[in-house]
Amino acid sequence: MLNKMMVAGSALFIVACGPIDEARDVHHDGLVYCSEGNPESFNPQLGTSGTTVDATSAQLYDRLLDYDAKLQQFVPALARGWQAFDKGTRYRFDLRENVQFHTTDWFTPSRDFNANDVIFSFERWLDKKHPYHDVNGGRYPFFRSSGLINLIERVEQVDDYTVDFHLKRSDSSFLANLATDFAIILSEQYATQLLRQKTPEQIDRFPVGTGPFQFELFRKDFIIRYQAHENYWREQPEIKRLVYVITPNANKRMLKLLTGECDVIPYPLINELSQLDHDAEIKVGSSVSPNISFWAFNTQQPPFDNVLVRQALAHAVNRPAIIQTIYNGNARLATGMLPETSWAYSPVQQTYPYDPEKARALLEQAGYPNGFSMSIWAMPVQRAYNPNAHRMAELMQSDLAQVGVQVNIVSYEWNTFRQRLVAGEHDSVLIGWVADNADPDNFFRPILSCAAARSGNNRALWCNPEFDQLLVDAIAESDLDQRKHLYQFVEDMVMQHAPLVPIANSLRFQAHRADIEGVELPPYGGINFRYARRVNDVPL
Amino acid sequence: MFRYSLRRMVLLLVTLWLLTLLIFALNYWYPGDPLTNMTGIKFSDTLAYQQALVARGFDGSLVSQYFSFMAHLLQGDWGASMVTEQPVFAEIKPLLGATLELGLLAMLLAIVLGIPLGVYAAIQQRGKLDRLIMGMSLSAYSIPVFWLAQLFILLFAVKLGWSPISGQIDPLYAIDINTGSILIDIWLSDSDYRIAAFTDALNHLWVPVIVLSIMPLTMLIRIMRNAVLDVLQQNFIKAARARGLSDSTIMFRHTLPNAMQPVVRQLGLQFSVLMTNIIITEVIFNWPGLGSWLVKSIYERDFPVIQGGLLVLASIILLVNVMVDLVHAWRYPHIRKEIDAK
Repeated sequence: MLNKMMVAGSALFIVACGPIDEARDVHHDGLVYCSEGNPESFNPQLGTSGTTVDATSAQLYDRLLDYDAKLQQFVPALARGWQAFDKGTRYRFDLRENVQFHTTDWFTPSRDFNANDVIFSFERWLDKKHPYHDVNGGRYPFFRSSGLINLIERVEQVDDYTVDFHLKRSDSSFLANLATDFAIILSEQYATQLLRQKTPEQIDRFPVGTGPFQFELFRKDFIIRYQAHENYWREQPEIKRLVYVITPNANKRMLKLLTGECDVIPYPLINELSQLDHDAEIKVGSSVSPNISFWAFNTQQPPFDNVLVRQALAHAVNRPAIIQTIYNGNARLATGMLPETSWAYSPVQQTYPYDPEKARALLEQAGYPNGFSMSIWAMPVQRAYNPNAHRMAELMQSDLAQVGVQVNIVSYEWNTFRQRLVAGEHDSVLIGWVADNADPDNFFRPILSCAAARSGNNRALWCNPEFDQLLVDAIAESDLDQRKHLYQFVEDMVMQHAPLVPIANSLRFQAHRADIEGVELPPYGGINFRYARRVNDVPL
Repeated sequence: MFRYSLRRMVLLLVTLWLLTLLIFALNYWYPGDPLTNMTGIKFSDTLAYQQALVARGFDGSLVSQYFSFMAHLLQGDWGASMVTEQPVFAEIKPLLGATLELGLLAMLLAIVLGIPLGVYAAIQQRGKLDRLIMGMSLSAYSIPVFWLAQLFILLFAVKLGWSPISGQIDPLYAIDINTGSILIDIWLSDSDYRIAAFTDALNHLWVPVIVLSIMPLTMLIRIMRNAVLDVLQQNFIKAARARGLSDSTIMFRHTLPNAMQPVVRQLGLQFSVLMTNIIITEVIFNWPGLGSWLVKSIYERDFPVIQGGLLVLASIILLVNVMVDLVHAWRYPHIRKEIDAK
């Protein structure tokens, strides 16, 4: 019986190799990216999820300016240039002409990109009364938690190709925030058309942007299809068809890369990386990603509202062992929030070495001599900062059992998981953060400020006005040395109060077939396929 | 025959009705707001929620809620997914097509291979080949589908490279989704690479089809073998032998038609087993069918989708079983009498 199947199988295989020319044509200018999950929407303004950013920002949209990580400076994009006036409280942007939006089945632009589009894209989340503000949720977590929503007073059109941003105060992170993957430019004309058709929610489902690729089709859990934008204002992408195949299982992603069903995969399993590197067909790319994985406590909930308990738990887990087991050594034990690569990094005083004795003493002091039971929420997806949260939770479970703390591990589907975190249903969570820009502020304000606690991005739900004030002081300071000094205070304060325990700063990996070149993994932000190309013909 | 058919149809309707009752009740047993569970409209969407409240009879008694639930169900208004906010009913068609394609091909393969193998084993009773066939079918029967699927993927896709790991077709072939059945959709499409796409789709199809057909196949072999052996013991076969009919005439004219009777009766049951296995198979092979859709919706606590998936899968199994029963009773009239006699 098995023999018959093999014969049948090989017969099919031989047939499949028949029409080579057509197949080669399809593969030559196409690329398959096996992504790790569904995007939440097709507009990165609405979320902070890395999956959404990878699927949308660099592919569908452009920003006013880009950050060039190699040159470490801002470079023009949709804005040809910019200037600061009035002691840094007014920025004037000079916009590029002859930039076209995507022409799709659902929208045909009749004009080029201009100042109206910039105004629309910013007013949507700045102005609470804007007709699009509440469409599809009305939460703009990045802009809220980075403080941009409170920083920009208004956006003013000077002429068709000039806009002014009026700021409430000077802020050294303003340009860095505009260069992130979230500050994308939408089409005002498309929005008006949708409003007329009374279907404004389509704007984030059938997206229109100025980016190198345009949206074609999305089938949840299976596929996203893009095609090259023929009138792209920069150099045309060489890839004409870009397909995201949604493959949440990391093992399957790896296997599909080996068989050539995927050309590029994110988050390859680190413990199999070394094996992959030897394989001539597979190349592994890494970038030093400014990220941090941490264990955040729900500080609104007893016993985690007690700082002694939090400190005890921080002493109770063996973090160096985690670095070895989970990251295979491809990460550095995080002592504070800022990674060593940040210019503002300086060593912190309190580092919480592994010390179960001390943990037990602290628990006793806090009034829990017999421990307690708690839940650790482990995120269901791989992230650069945490390749296997569930395994990490298991390691911590046994560490914590030694000091009398019983742990049960909780997990949900990723989008559900995040929604429940925002609702504050967790005791503690293993999650992390990938910085959106090079400014050290990005490691504190979006994840630990009171504003972030309100928007739900502060997983510790920790709100300390003193700490917020410290952040404001640090951002207003323009002298680098002074700022660095202030961030040292900020770091020490976080470590003292321990709303979260930092675990690791890791490298971000991506693996691709050897015949693919130019897939960019910028240190700040999502993957970019604009320069991707296939170097030689497909081996069949 | 008419009375029998009528009874089966009434039974089917009653079962379907009980199914709707169960699904209706699930809305109240799930956590959260029953109206949201039913329609996918969230409380925060005030206007739509108020409209749904009236339309779904939630201002009245439970009975009126059930009647309005049935009315919406029959009109094809099955609510919207809580995740994608797309109407559930419209999503079902392509998923159903994909599931049926996989299921029917697997069933076909099981029948085409299982019946001859069973007959062959019966003829060779206690011979070497009989033992081989029966041994293999027993061991294949005891392998769980999820493990067999992984094993086949490792062997055929990863080691030998004969087939891709998962999916319906190479995603770079842009085939419009129409019926959901990939082979039919390629046939209907007007792309220039139809033939290449078709062979690629077949190449994706054969591993899941084999995996899925193993369970019914092994069962069919055993049922067929026993049935043939049973019939061969009967007096009319001895009589036929005595009359000097050739072996092949005895087999094809007298044995097989009689031996098919228990096999046909078993087909409905085998189909139910197949539909259970298809859920697992679809998840493993990333097959865009009802099964993987249902599993995903359970992960996401997407209640309108869970209901839709349950309803469709359960209805298919019921329908197929009733149809098999009817065919069986029509082909073998004495069964009807037996049932009526009870």
